[in-house]
Amino acid sequence: MEEELTSTEKLVRGKGVYVDDIRLPGMLHMAVVRSPYARARILSVSGGLNGNELKGGVESVGEGAAAAASETTEPIFGLKSANYAGQPVAAVFADDLYSAQDLMDSVDVEYEPLKPVMSIDEALRAPPIYSSTKSNIMSEKWRGEEFEIADAPLVLEDEFLNRRVATNPIEPRGLVASSEGSRLTIWISTQSVHSIKEGIVGSLNLKPENVRIIQADTGGGFGLKGGMYTEYLIAAYAAMKYKRPVKWVETRREHMMASRPGRGVKGKMKLFADRSGRVLGLKGEVIVEGGAFSGGMGEFASNFIALQCTGPYLIQKAHVRALSVYTNKVPLGPYRGAGRPEAAFFIERMMDKLADELKMDPADVRLLNATTEPFKSPTGLEFDPSRPFIEKALNEFNYRKRVANGNAGIGFFVLVPALQPGETCRIAVRGKKVNVWLGGNSHGQGHDIFIKKLVSDEFGIGEDDIIVERGDTDQLEDGVGAWGSRTAMVGGAAVVSVARKIKDQIEKEFGEYTPEHLLSNEFDVYTFERQKGSLTSLGGNMASVDIDALGTVNVKEIDCYYDVGRALNIDMVRSQIIGGAIQGMGQTLTEEIAYGPDGQLLTGSISDAGVLNAESLPRFNIKLADSYSRLPHGAKGLGEAPTIGVPCALARAIEKVSGRRIRETPVKPELLVGLEG
Amino acid sequence: MTPASFDYLSPASLEEALGLLKEHGDDAKILAGGQSLIPLMKLRFTSFPYVIDVSRIKELKYIRKEGRKLTIGALTTTAELEESGEVRDEFQIIHDACSNIADPLVRNMGTVGGNLSHGDPGNDLPAVMIALKARFNLQSASGKRSVSAGDYYKDTFTTDASPEEMLVSVEIEIPDGRFGAAYVKHKRRAGDFSVAGVAVAFSLDGSGRLGSAGVGLTSLGPTPLRSAGAEKALEGSKPDGEGVKKAVEAARADSNPSSDFYGSREYKLFVLGKIMEKCVAEAAGRAQKEGSA
Ligand SMILES: Cc1cc2nc3c(=O)[nH]c(=O)nc-3n(C[C@H](O)[C@H](O)[C@H](O)COP(=O)(O)OP(=O)(O)OC[C@H]3O[C@@H](n4cnc5c(N)ncnc54)[C@H](O)[C@@H]3O)c2cc1C
Repeated sequence: MEEELTSTEKLVRGKGVYVDDIRLPGMLHMAVVRSPYARARILSVSGGLNGNELKGGVESVGEGAAAAASETTEPIFGLKSANYAGQPVAAVFADDLYSAQDLMDSVDVEYEPLKPVMSIDEALRAPPIYSSTKSNIMSEKWRGEEFEIADAPLVLEDEFLNRRVATNPIEPRGLVASSEGSRLTIWISTQSVHSIKEGIVGSLNLKPENVRIIQADTGGGFGLKGGMYTEYLIAAYAAMKYKRPVKWVETRREHMMASRPGRGVKGKMKLFADRSGRVLGLKGEVIVEGGAFSGGMGEFASNFIALQCTGPYLIQKAHVRALSVYTNKVPLGPYRGAGRPEAAFFIERMMDKLADELKMDPADVRLLNATTEPFKSPTGLEFDPSRPFIEKALNEFNYRKRVANGNAGIGFFVLVPALQPGETCRIAVRGKKVNVWLGGNSHGQGHDIFIKKLVSDEFGIGEDDIIVERGDTDQLEDGVGAWGSRTAMVGGAAVVSVARKIKDQIEKEFGEYTPEHLLSNEFDVYTFERQKGSLTSLGGNMASVDIDALGTVNVKEIDCYYDVGRALNIDMVRSQIIGGAIQGMGQTLTEEIAYGPDGQLLTGSISDAGVLNAESLPRFNIKLADSYSRLPHGAKGLGEAPTIGVPCALARAIEKVSGRRIRETPVKPELLVGLEG
Repeated sequence: MTPASFDYLSPASLEEALGLLKEHGDDAKILAGGQSLIPLMKLRFTSFPYVIDVSRIKELKYIRKEGRKLTIGALTTTAELEESGEVRDEFQIIHDACSNIADPLVRNMGTVGGNLSHGDPGNDLPAVMIALKARFNLQSASGKRSVSAGDYYKDTFTTDASPEEMLVSVEIEIPDGRFGAAYVKHKRRAGDFSVAGVAVAFSLDGSGRLGSAGVGLTSLGPTPLRSAGAEKALEGSKPDGEGVKKAVEAARADSNPSSDFYGSREYKLFVLGKIMEKCVAEAAGRAQKEGSA
């Protein structure tokens, strides 16, 4: 008999079944014809499936989304215009992928190229891309209250930029869509089957009961796989039209062009302080490069970043403008951290600047401005007392001793997890097995490990009796998704809640709860465990580096001190931290999605996109705060913490060693050897 | 991996391969280790009606050393060259380059002939062969000829070999007496192509001055480059003297890098200077040990 593998073991032993492993009889392969121009008028399209037939747009769903249909929301196919290089204009289908790619030549598109708008600064200057908007501003909001401090002893101003970064999961996007009778079934690589269902149902106008979404094994997501994409709608439509299953798996090159990347944010900060180092007020402007279409992360990220611009500090006056702008690039999406790393980078860079200005230790400036009581900042950021946390972190880092070497930097932040609206769970007990479905779908994190632990602890049964089921909208009626550092926290709370409901039921029926009563009977309980308010946590990082004569940064050590609440599984926590820290390093050192001024993508491969490899790994010192949240199982958020804190600490370490002010990520060797900036 | 369709031909001998090249001319492409050609084909950046896989031709897989002369068969892999004890001990510059090409997976497949014939300005072996003044032996169904490494590179991805010709071997001969050579490559991450690479080879005379020198450059122009200016500046100078600074200036003048993901033009020229100094010093150190390159 074959040995039973956990879902995690299956993946690491190469026994996973990913979308590309799925083969259905009569299956068609889809290839997408994309605009080679960043901006063009389309005079005509013929051949393949195109916008003359399949009209409509992507109803934006998932993380940070809203729906509207207009010129500025993403159409399924570009028909009259193309607004980023890589935008789908047609799709072709064939029995195999080779023939599908051959067929791409049969599509004729007549373009009239236009001058694209390729940066935030250009967007603010240039005439509007769209005739229906007055400017290239996609959204504008203000946070905090206007204030004046006429006599501030110190006013510091600076400007920062986090360039766009691809999400680059090892498995790119993909799905298989199959239609039988009135039913459409989709197997997909995703962070949320329910969010995909909502998008398919809404965009293609289908009845919810006719659509079933099943999660295939998913090889990473990092925010990419929560939302709806035009390619999913095209494949689903084609499966219904041709009455044959349709598979689409994006190539890495398509991923670079057309998968929504993250970051791409500029921050302008103005800090008012006194000579003791106390911050008196903060004015800021956050400008997000939303890309070609509104309605997604690009539109809403600016407001979320503005919320967090005050960091873990007692800043009593703050006023931040949140702007998103249109450019001729693929729309922005969420990437691990999704607005959190940008806010932390902006405020932490200012705290370091303040320290340098006053010749103070950056740790002392932070301690001075930290809070001893719970605090809600004028921009709306709520957090626990940060002073005791920072003190403890500095001790854990052995900061006072190690920073004397001059090559270390620190960074602190508030992690705002996606707590609301909570998460769903279903537990069905039958045939002596406990089957668990969770609303947010694991995409490589190994959620099954903590789910089994929680269920086993609650029920007092062995983990062998527990089966963690894949995401399937037919099995679980509703759900949110795995993103925003939320699943161990809100998903875990839902698991505990359902388990306790079953225990209550058993107590009522049998007078007492025993594992035997549980396993020898049948139960089926579903709950949407709602969450309100906020449940933020604090985190801190330290990093140390060497820099050689050619401006190459070698990261030596990364220290982490995070409040993750109760750590449900310490190995999983460590691996989340290490993985996230490497992404934070990548963003700071090498990762970027870059375009030429003509709008052509310069970074077409995973190597060009600057993803780090194993040789870059530093030494990690990971410490966790002794903490327990208000949730029944004690967990807090974790997943995004390292992508928030590491760039802050690392930028400072590079600044210390190079003696050059760091304002942008990635930090280019050109700057470090004195050739620019 | 979905290239456009092509006919796959797999000759067992050199003679058969040259016959096929003659027959198909422009319509055919040699496939050796596939590490440069296949990535281009799978992205459909290029396609050919016929692909001639030469990897079965065992007669072109050898490393032969006779005295101070080294002959390398075109189908020798870069890993084989890297692992050869003779090469490591006596032609260290070749080892410098081979151990810096991509990663072991690529080196296990990629061949010397392919690395030299792809015409990629980022490939590491061409600069080394230019510095060593190697001779490339070309063969076609109608005859043989040989060209010097410095004359082989015509444009990006274009060499002096005609579609009917195949590079069959490379010959290197180092002069008697004290001779030193080194290759220094600067890259951003393990496994990357270079930001810039410099190969230097020269004799040292009794007074510690440089005799005849060869200088090859990687990633600094549209093709692998020979810097005749740097060679001239080095000749007659001391390895730690003014001549090296002049050589850097000359090499910069001979270079024409473009700004890209690997760095800006200015940065590449800056790197060139730093690694050239290091490279000359390394080669001079080796020259003290008589008879190795
Ligand atoms: C991820 C990756 C990273 C790499 N990094 C580096 C690097 O850092 N440095 C480096 O130098 N290289 C690098 N390469 C390229 C690698 O070294 C290739 O192996 C080499 O460029 C081509 O050798 P090949 O045998 O694979 O040739 P192929 O890919 O088979 O052929 C390349 C070209 O040469 C022609 N050709 C091949 N053999 C002959 C011959 N005998 N006569 C005439 N023409 C011939 C072919 O027709 C084709 O046009 C990298 C490759 C990859 C995939």
